[in-house]
Amino acid sequence: MNTGNTGNTDDADDMSDISGEVAFDGEELGLDLLEEELRRAAAILDPVPPELRQIAVEAFALHDLDARIAELTFDSVVDALPVRGATDMPRMLTFHAGGVTVDVELTAQGLMGQVLPPQTAGIEVLSGPQAGWALETDPMGRFTYGEPPAGPFALRLRTGEGVLVTDWLTA
Amino acid sequence: MDRGDVGALVQTAVDGDAAAWKALVEGLSPLVWSVVRSHRLSDADAHEVYQTVWFRFAQHLGRIREPEKAGAWLASTARHECLKVLKSLRRLTPTDDPQLLDRVSDDRTPEQSFLDLEEAAAETERIRHMWQELEELGDRCRQLLRVLMASPPPSYQEVSAALGIAVGSIGPLRQRCLRRLRARLEARGAV
Repeated sequence: MNTGNTGNTDDADDMSDISGEVAFDGEELGLDLLEEELRRAAAILDPVPPELRQIAVEAFALHDLDARIAELTFDSVVDALPVRGATDMPRMLTFHAGGVTVDVELTAQGLMGQVLPPQTAGIEVLSGPQAGWALETDPMGRFTYGEPPAGPFALRLRTGEGVLVTDWLTA
Repeated sequence: MDRGDVGALVQTAVDGDAAAWKALVEGLSPLVWSVVRSHRLSDADAHEVYQTVWFRFAQHLGRIREPEKAGAWLASTARHECLKVLKSLRRLTPTDDPQLLDRVSDDRTPEQSFLDLEEAAAETERIRHMWQELEELGDRCRQLLRVLMASPPPSYQEVSAALGIAVGSIGPLRQRCLRRLRARLEARGAV
């Protein structure tokens, strides 16, 4: 099997031997080259789609130091136990910023929610850096929106305590 | 992108410099995309998660505690968002297997079209074989190698954030996976 001084080790059998092993210099070089080749393959076969890169560039518009972030504190996808057989449950989300809580429910019909403590607030439903759909809550802080959000999603709220933006998530 | 520049670029972007932000996107997009692609999401979900990650990064830009580790922040955010989407898919459509949807796009990139030129046909073949073998490698190796394929190469700290594995285990795992891939390519006579 030894074909000379190529520095390759014939190690196809030792794959179970993992921790603490040290590769020979020649072998490490070979693996580096293979990794580099993989990197080229990825750049050719599965590069970042240019339109996505462009959207990320435009996302700079979402940088807003004046708005407070309403953090996601509950998401039924991770925080609730699934109910067997219940396949069409609404997704429940809760966001918090300071003294304000925003409860949101996502269904196939759209979204509904409530700002607490109850208050009138302007709400913008965002799906990207561009302006979103504008709504207003009723005096109880409740709001509905008749389009089910798909993809990236956040709410921008104009409340008595200033502007809040919820954490972005994937609806 | 030189990872040493990341902290300074984040700081400049926080101050409102769109060019610094663009440089961050150019330098770290392949990392985010690789992390997303290393998880078994449909194309549509992968596109959405990629956007969510960048929107959240823009939103949190001035609040990131360790700007020089923005790559790890992005990798970790991408991982968590991928896991969440996988979990919600399983909940909402239990019979739907997202793995079946994961495939290399049939659309040809300009680079790919170039490779289709006759003189490059052999190289194309080789790259396609490599890609196929990668798919056969088992989830753990496939996932690790897909993340490592980001360009420029990710730091181990970023890989750790992307996959939720200890930094110390990445080196040995990498060697093992690359060896395994090489053995498969050799068996195929493709080396």
